[in-house]
Amino acid sequence: MSETSSEEARRLAQGARDRVRFEEEALALADQVYRVARGVSRSKEEAEDLMQETYARAFRSWQSFTPGTNLRAWLLRILTNLNIDRGRRAQRTPDSQPLEEGDYFLYNRLEAASGETDEERVIERLSQDHIAEALAAVPHDFRDVLVLVDIADFSYAEAAQILDIPIGTVMSRLHRGRRTLKQQLAELSVGAS
Amino acid sequence: MSEIDPCEWCEEVLQPYLDRELDETDEAKVKGHLAACGWCEKRYKFEEDLRRLVRRAAVSPMEPALKQKLAELRLEL
Repeated sequence: MSETSSEEARRLAQGARDRVRFEEEALALADQVYRVARGVSRSKEEAEDLMQETYARAFRSWQSFTPGTNLRAWLLRILTNLNIDRGRRAQRTPDSQPLEEGDYFLYNRLEAASGETDEERVIERLSQDHIAEALAAVPHDFRDVLVLVDIADFSYAEAAQILDIPIGTVMSRLHRGRRTLKQQLAELSVGAS
Repeated sequence: MSEIDPCEWCEEVLQPYLDRELDETDEAKVKGHLAACGWCEKRYKFEEDLRRLVRRAAVSPMEPALKQKLAELRLEL
């Protein structure tokens, strides 16, 4: 009898230790998770709300995390799902631009405006505010992939797993996302003419 | 026999090349083409610089108040 209860007590104590460790590891990743939250949100406030929802859900469902697997990917999966649930995808996908225009658009435009041909000078014309503003204007479906690959450094396969979409979709969204980003940057930095 | 234009092919695989997602054979092929083609090399550098900028722009640290709020969301023991 007493053996059973001490067994039970040991089990509970171990559970509590596991949970505390999980929480600490999750909190240690908060800065990295925040970069993604900020990337997929339109404002800082939205990103902060999303972070709190993500962590509240993560702490509640910590037992569904398999130790030894990628905790950052697990947290980001919660984050991107919450982002979808919150209906932040109301934005319409812009009409796709012809490839030749999209891919050379920014470069040609910046080059024409500055009279520079050196690529480093061309890129210098872009400010960080321009980048952040342009990123915010990329439709959510594309932006999620772009942020996971470009900012969070996930592979195509990992991004596919986090977003629960096929790799081919990751690639096409990434391509279109970057193209949209370049178009936005061209508009912002050179100005519509 | 019609060959695919190497610059056109390079443009098509430039994004996965940037992301280090190509297999070794294709990666070597792109590398070889970039070394030989000024235009594509310039395109590649531009994309690379742009990515670096995107990465830098996204580094806005979290407010300490938010960090505190997240820690408070931990379950009661």
